[in-house]
Amino acid sequence: MIPLVVLGAVIAVLVIASGLKDFGWTFWGFQYRFVPGEPEASSWGIGVFLVGTFLTAGLSLVLATLLSLALAISSVVYLPPLPGRLLSMVTNLLAGIPSVIYGIWGFVVLAPYFGMALEPSLKDVLGWLPGFGGPDSAIGPWGTLLAVFILTIMIIPLTTALMRESLRSVPRELVEAGLALGATRWEVVRRVRMRVARNGLWSAVLLGFGRALGESVAVAMVIGGTSIALPPSLYASSTTVASFIFSQLDSALLYPDLFILLVEFSLVLLGIAVVVNLVAQRFTRVELATATTLGGGG
Amino acid sequence: MKTPASFGSDLVPTSGRLRRRILFDRVIGWVLLLAFVAVLFPLFDLVGWVSSYALPTMSWSVLTENQVGESGGLYAMIVGTLVLISLGTAIAAGLGISAGFYTAEFAPPPVRRLARLAGNVLAGVPAIVLGYFGYYALVLYTHWGFTTLAGGIILGIFMLPYIFRTTDIALSNVPPSQREASLALGSNRIQYLRRVAFPIAFPTILTGIFFAMALGLGEAAPLVYTAGWSSTPVQNLMQPTAFLTGGIWAFYDFPRSYGTFLTLAFQAAFLLIVIVLVINIVVQVLSDRYRQRLAGIYE
Repeated sequence: MIPLVVLGAVIAVLVIASGLKDFGWTFWGFQYRFVPGEPEASSWGIGVFLVGTFLTAGLSLVLATLLSLALAISSVVYLPPLPGRLLSMVTNLLAGIPSVIYGIWGFVVLAPYFGMALEPSLKDVLGWLPGFGGPDSAIGPWGTLLAVFILTIMIIPLTTALMRESLRSVPRELVEAGLALGATRWEVVRRVRMRVARNGLWSAVLLGFGRALGESVAVAMVIGGTSIALPPSLYASSTTVASFIFSQLDSALLYPDLFILLVEFSLVLLGIAVVVNLVAQRFTRVELATATTLGGGG
Repeated sequence: MKTPASFGSDLVPTSGRLRRRILFDRVIGWVLLLAFVAVLFPLFDLVGWVSSYALPTMSWSVLTENQVGESGGLYAMIVGTLVLISLGTAIAAGLGISAGFYTAEFAPPPVRRLARLAGNVLAGVPAIVLGYFGYYALVLYTHWGFTTLAGGIILGIFMLPYIFRTTDIALSNVPPSQREASLALGSNRIQYLRRVAFPIAFPTILTGIFFAMALGLGEAAPLVYTAGWSSTPVQNLMQPTAFLTGGIWAFYDFPRSYGTFLTLAFQAAFLLIVIVLVINIVVQVLSDRYRQRLAGIYE
C-alpha cells in the first residue's frame, strides 16, 4: 500500500509540476482560449476538460455499475448455467465492438432519438433536477448525455466480467451456509456474496472508471465537438481530455503551442489513469489481478 | 411428477414475512434480468443499423478498389490495417510471450510482482496517450514523419499487456505435478518449458493473441497520430498509411446526401465488425473449452 501511495504522489507532483513549468498556474484553471499565433492572448486551462472527463466518466460509471451488478448477479445466481453462459458470451461480444463503431452508431443512429425523443421527455420529467432542465446543445443532438450513454455501453462488458468473476469466486461453503440457515438467494447475494466479494467489486468499478476516462474516439464523435466551456446542462456539448487530444491532430501539426499543451494533457490523463489503476490493483490480490484481463485501453 | 421449479412452490406460506421474503427473491430475479436489455439492445441495434447502411451497396469492388474522391472502395485501408495489425502482432507477441515466460518462470518474486503490476498498469493506459507518445517519440523526435512502422510499433505496445498477461497466467497455471514429473524424469528447466509447459499453455497464449488482435484491429486512437493517413495503398513501412478505423473517423460526419463518404465509413465499420466478431467468437469458444486453465480471463 505505502509504495503505491508514494508512487501515486510522485506521479501527481511530476504532472502538476510539468504543467506549471510550461503554462503557469493558469494551466490548472478554467480559462481556455486559444488564439493561434498569439501566445499572450491565449489561456490554457485544463479545468473544463477535467470537469467534462469526470462528469461523463462518473455518470456512465454509475449507470454501468448498477447494470453490471444486475447482469453479474443474474448470471451467477439466478439464471440456469446454459442461458447464463450464453448471455455472458453476448456481453463479451459487446466488448469486442470497436469504439469507433460505437461512435459512428451514436453519431448517426442514436443522436436523432436523443435530440427528438429522449431529451425532451427527460426534460419534462426530470427538469427540476440540476443538469436535466437546461438548454440543448447548440450544434445538434450531440452532447454530454449521448457520450454518457455510449460510454456506459462500452464499459458494461468490462465491469460485468470482473464483477461476475468476483461474485463467483465467493467460497461455496459461505453461500451454502447462508442458504442452509434459511436465507433466500437474494439475501445470500446481498449479505454474503456482495460482502465477501467487496474488494473485487470495487476494483471492477475502478477499472471501469479508468476505461471510461481514457476513451477518446467514441467520445470525440458524439460529445458535440468543439465547444470548450462548462456544459450548462447534460444535453449540451462538452469535452474531455482524451477526446480533445484525439480530435486536435490537425491543429497540433500547425501550432507548436498546442502541441506542447497536448503533451501536458496526455501527461495529466496518464497520471489519472495510472493512479486509478494502481488503486484498483490495491483492491485485488496480485494473483487475482493478473486474472482480470478484459477489454482494451480505450 | 413435480419439476424442480414447481417443487418449491408448495413450501411458500400463504402469508407473513417468509412469504414476502420468498416472493421478493423471485421478483428481483426477474427485475435483474431486465438489465440484459442494456446489452442486447446495443448489440442488435448497432449491428442492424451498420448492416443496413453498409450492405445495399456492398460489393467486391468495395474491397478491391481504391478510394478516389467520391467513389471507389476500401482497398488502401484494408491493406493498411492488415500491415499494421501484422506488425503490431509480431511486436506484441514477440515481446509479450518472452516477457510472460520470463515473469512466470525465471523472475525472482519481487521482479515478478513488479512486472505483473506494470503489465496491469500498461493495460490501463489510455490508447490516446500511447498514440500521442508515439507522435512525440516516433513521428517528431525521429524525424520519420507519419509512418506505418510507427503505427505498428505503437499498436504493438497497445496489444502487449494482453499477450503478456495471458502468457504469464497460462504458464503459472500449469499444474505443479506436471513440473515435478518432468523434473523428476531429469529434464532441465528449458526442456520442461519446451516439452511440457508450452504445449499445455499454448491454447491459452493463442487465445490471448487473438484477443489482442481483435482489440488492435478496432483501435483508432494509437494510430491517427502515428500512421497518419494516405489515399493510396502502402508500399513500404516508412510511408503513412490508411486504415479501416481511420476511414470511419475521417468520414463519419459527412451527411448522407454528400457523396459516398458516409456509406464508405459504414462499409468499413461493417467489415471491422465481421472480422472482430469472428475473432471474438473464436476467443470465446477457445476460452470456454480451456475454461479451467483460463480461470476467468475472458469472460
